[in-house]
Amino acid sequence: MKPAPFHHVEVATVEEALGQLREHGAHARVLAGGQSLVPLMNLRSVRPRVLVDINPISELERIDADGSLELGAMVRQAAALRSAEVRSLAPLLADVLRQVGYPATRARGTIGGSVAHADPVAELPAALVALESEIAVQGSHGERLVPAESFFQARFETAAGDDELVTRIRVPRLPRRCGWGFAEIAPRGHDFAIAGAACLLEIDSDRVCRSARIALLGVAERPVRAADAEASLQGRGLDGAALSEAARHAAGDLEPPSDVHASGRYRREVAEALVRRALAEAARRGGGGS
Amino acid sequence: MSAREPIGREPEEVLVRLTVNGEERRGIAEPRLLLSDFLRQELRLTGVQVGCEQGVCGACTVLLDGEPIRSCLMFAVQARGAELETVEGLAGEDGALDPLQRSFQEHHGLQCGFCTPGFLLTARALLEETPDPSREQIAESLAGNVCRCTGYVGILDAVASAAAALHDEGGSQGGT
Amino acid sequence: MTATVTPPRYVGKRMLRVEDPSFLRGQAQFVDDVDLPGLLHAAFLRSPFAHARIRSIDAGRAREARGVHAVLTGADVGDAGMLVTTIATRPDEVETGVRRLLPTDKARHVGDPVAVVVARSRYLAEDACDLIEVDWEPLPAVVDAEEALAEDAPVIHEELGGNRFAHIEFERGDVEGLFDSAAHLFAKRFHFGRTFAAPLETRGVVGQYEQGPGELIVWTSTQFPHLVRTSLAPLLELPENRVRVIAPAVGGGFGLKVQIFVEEVLIPLLALRLGRPVKWIEDRREALVASGHAKELICDLEAAVGDDGRFLAFRGRYVGDAGAYQAHPWTGLIDPLCAASFLPGQYGIEAVRYEADVAITNKCPSTAYRGVGWTPGQAAREAMIDDIARALGRDPLELRIQNTISEEPGESLTGCRYDGGSYVRAQEKAAEMLDYARLRERQRRLRDEGRYLGIGFSPFVEQGGWAAAVARANGFPGYAYMDSVNVTVEPDASVTVTSGFHSHGQGHHTALAQVVADRLGVPFDAVRIVQGDTAGTAYSTGTYGSRTAVVAGGALVHATGDIRDKLLRIAAHTLEANPDDLELADGRISVRGDPTHSLSIAEVVATAYSGAGRPTDIEVSLTSTRSYDPPETYSNACIAAVVEVDVETGAVEIERMVVVEDCGTILNPMIVDGQIAGALAQGVGAALYEALPYDEEGQPLAPTLREFTYPSTLDVPPLDIAHIETPSPVTANGAKGMGEGGTIGAPAACVNAVADALSPFGVSVDFTPLRPAAILSLLREARERSRA
Repeated sequence: MKPAPFHHVEVATVEEALGQLREHGAHARVLAGGQSLVPLMNLRSVRPRVLVDINPISELERIDADGSLELGAMVRQAAALRSAEVRSLAPLLADVLRQVGYPATRARGTIGGSVAHADPVAELPAALVALESEIAVQGSHGERLVPAESFFQARFETAAGDDELVTRIRVPRLPRRCGWGFAEIAPRGHDFAIAGAACLLEIDSDRVCRSARIALLGVAERPVRAADAEASLQGRGLDGAALSEAARHAAGDLEPPSDVHASGRYRREVAEALVRRALAEAARRGGGGS
Repeated sequence: MSAREPIGREPEEVLVRLTVNGEERRGIAEPRLLLSDFLRQELRLTGVQVGCEQGVCGACTVLLDGEPIRSCLMFAVQARGAELETVEGLAGEDGALDPLQRSFQEHHGLQCGFCTPGFLLTARALLEETPDPSREQIAESLAGNVCRCTGYVGILDAVASAAAALHDEGGSQGGT
Repeated sequence: MTATVTPPRYVGKRMLRVEDPSFLRGQAQFVDDVDLPGLLHAAFLRSPFAHARIRSIDAGRAREARGVHAVLTGADVGDAGMLVTTIATRPDEVETGVRRLLPTDKARHVGDPVAVVVARSRYLAEDACDLIEVDWEPLPAVVDAEEALAEDAPVIHEELGGNRFAHIEFERGDVEGLFDSAAHLFAKRFHFGRTFAAPLETRGVVGQYEQGPGELIVWTSTQFPHLVRTSLAPLLELPENRVRVIAPAVGGGFGLKVQIFVEEVLIPLLALRLGRPVKWIEDRREALVASGHAKELICDLEAAVGDDGRFLAFRGRYVGDAGAYQAHPWTGLIDPLCAASFLPGQYGIEAVRYEADVAITNKCPSTAYRGVGWTPGQAAREAMIDDIARALGRDPLELRIQNTISEEPGESLTGCRYDGGSYVRAQEKAAEMLDYARLRERQRRLRDEGRYLGIGFSPFVEQGGWAAAVARANGFPGYAYMDSVNVTVEPDASVTVTSGFHSHGQGHHTALAQVVADRLGVPFDAVRIVQGDTAGTAYSTGTYGSRTAVVAGGALVHATGDIRDKLLRIAAHTLEANPDDLELADGRISVRGDPTHSLSIAEVVATAYSGAGRPTDIEVSLTSTRSYDPPETYSNACIAAVVEVDVETGAVEIERMVVVEDCGTILNPMIVDGQIAGALAQGVGAALYEALPYDEEGQPLAPTLREFTYPSTLDVPPLDIAHIETPSPVTANGAKGMGEGGTIGAPAACVNAVADALSPFGVSVDFTPLRPAAILSLLREARERSRA
């Protein structure tokens, strides 16, 4: 189980990286933390001719907290997890990162790599969808910001082209009174999830839900928002019945895929419970629930 | 079939210089050589074990600039200039086992010994960052390392006990 | 000669393992650490199809590729080294399996090796594998054992005419009469899922032929180096004394590495043909699709039960899924026949009947894995007993105790001669540790809150010391086994023990040294155990089947006995005393009742080697090689699990597990507890986490560790272990063997705990693994049943 040969090109700037991607097109792959790509290369199911190693691009390792939270694509998951800015501005992200892999994979794995890989059972993309984040994608025509929800298009497919690079992730500031919750089920330990739900609830002083965001993972080819469920919560008190009803809405229309870990039917069933639990946690944290 | 086409000229081998266990080391690597293979084959640090080459089992864990990483998911060329620590660097210069290693022996934290280096290094990184971990924190931190022999009982005991011992030691040193 | 037996100084003590420091320092040498001048590396091209004819193989480009030294296909190897596997004692019931090292006609499972490349590095060897073109003709695949046995199933080995490799029947007592007259009849069909020993170190082989001395050296990650030598020599047409097998540090075996693999023959063959050392290290994908799966078993059980709840008779039909080839030398009977032989378990029934079948399928070959067929057999029987208890409104533990055999030695209906134990007491002790009555109370309270706690019991009798007698009891050929050790006292009174047993985690270097130190009255650290190399070690069939404490322990008792006798005779000569009046204790031999009249062991040894007053009338070499082929011996245990099932997600959380183990005399309690905890985690893995499913085309759906999920630190339960020590009256040292109990008993405990938790929903459990999605299907089906 050894990777096929490739040319290794280290780049020190985003421009250099883009130049390499333009030159080699579909034959090139970007090497960030390598925690998703290298397993596939070891299996030879991915065999790039050129590996564009963006690890030396230090500008992509920055965490900025100037109003919104900005994470460079090369911020290691471990660094994000340790970051006080992430904890205070996007506590949902911090919670979710704890579920992403293990210390040794988080030490190398990057936020941008996880985003660009777009595994539908990964936690981070769903959390970014719930957080209404934007993914900054840079190409020869400059940078564009893509809302996370449209960035993730299908299993391992994103809105970024072969000649583009994910450079930053922008997480907007949360509403003032806001609770968050995350629930997932994994085959074991902290493996990739079978299914999961990330929720944010904006809650009035009179404990009424002003707005809700629910993103699900593992139930489709990409992370999905549960719009009906979100709508059903708007303007309602966050009692058990409201949460259960929202959870039913969230799971109702799903047609999840089956795999070795679980059937699609199971995923739909469990999604309902996970949404309800994540909402209950969010309601509790936001001071709006039982 | 395009995936299996040759990639043109052969990739050039690269000189990799790095620090391992405090010593300057160097070796030759073609770009695709995994760091795990480089450490084992070029540097003969065979305490680095290879269990899955998928980053799942944790046997190949080494410390890179103090943090645990999977050496099977990094290419040797990426480790140029890095500072690594492997299981061979744990024991003292006099060959004495360090407290964590001793604790693994005292608590029967190993049977076949194949996973042991990965556990030792992961636990070492944990204790550096969290000197007084709870049982849950220990289990969380080690959840990415597989042991097929022990059922983890001895391993968790060993790390908990080493943490307590290091803590006491640190406390008494602090007092003098 | 009788020498006074002094209380053991080391046996029974928690001695720390002397082998640990080398592992802790990363200095232990595993197969992949072997490096030799001119070493070449092999990689296999393996079949992507479950069943496909090989029309042709074009290895031309591969042979020309960079760094390649050789490419071999089935055509190049032919019949050389072919493995022929059968059970010689059962010619009418068991077919003969034939496996070429590389197939010439067709591939029979995904991962079947069809070509091997030898190159300067593994990387280059894999590059060349990519260049081999195989013209495949895919054939229909069979992936279900029962479908494989159907008349119209595609035949996998044409020479057998069908896919049934073995069919064995056994009956004792008035089965039909008891089933006709019993007050209650029960039936249970249980499908134990495919699992895998999955040692963390994969398989690996290095072969090197040394022209000068004419010796083939084979390093291999095996549990039985001598049997590898005995098997390889004729296959490679070499005299056995010119083959040396070295099993260096072995990173876990668990039964997987107690067989001969085609790769294990092919790599030495390549070394012979190329005149260069060749190494092959299995990668994890190969391990998961092509090494050896285990324990997949369909169990159809029936019980005849009296109106007082007494078990009268059991009937069982076991269909094993051997995969594409027979494990050598065990055959696919290792699961169904071991399960069937233990159908009565620890219960005192009056009649039994079983049938055991082995089906050939287009899946990875199935082989031994710790606990073998006893595990699925235990799970099926104990799940049925819980069903019976529920149906009769009886407490499952109380029903079991009612039906448990006497604790005295006795014979089971299938012919296993139990040597006595604590069959009832182990169950009572487990209940006491659980605080059973209060736990049931808590279970009721939690149910009212919508939380589902379950308690599962799994008491069992476990064979130990696998050798001729126990093999026969399990239906395998067992005329005689050769298991020996050599003990030599060196001139400085240090002691060297060599044996062909092989430690791959069991701590032989410590436990066996404890035995020897006590027997010879020398300090523990004066004893050194040498093993893992057929050059210079006494012959043994290796380490597997919970045997080393019993078999090696017994052989050591005899060998050290010889040496004690000699030491006493020599001392008697010096002390001018009668040997019968001497005692050996604390490193000294003294005249009983007169401690002033004594010699240190070192003085006696010095006399034997070079002393002035050495007796001339006795043979003085301080060495003894002795074998031991023990009678049947059986440990017993009771495992209990307490679980909580999340009925919304299907997640099972084990709150606690309890083990009461009686393995007779304990050599080292730390090692025993380590074996229990490790085996138990494997049992939990099989029950709840691990699966090796195939799709209809025979594609494995768990080819990496992302799909095959070992339990992690977060998945193993808090564990309480208690011991009852009922020494075996029949083995040489009272030990009974205990390496497999946790794996045998834990799945049944988990299955029963889950079923107990879900009993309010009318759920009965009849398969493993119980992963979350499967639990929710059970609940869904139960809901649908109750609606209908």
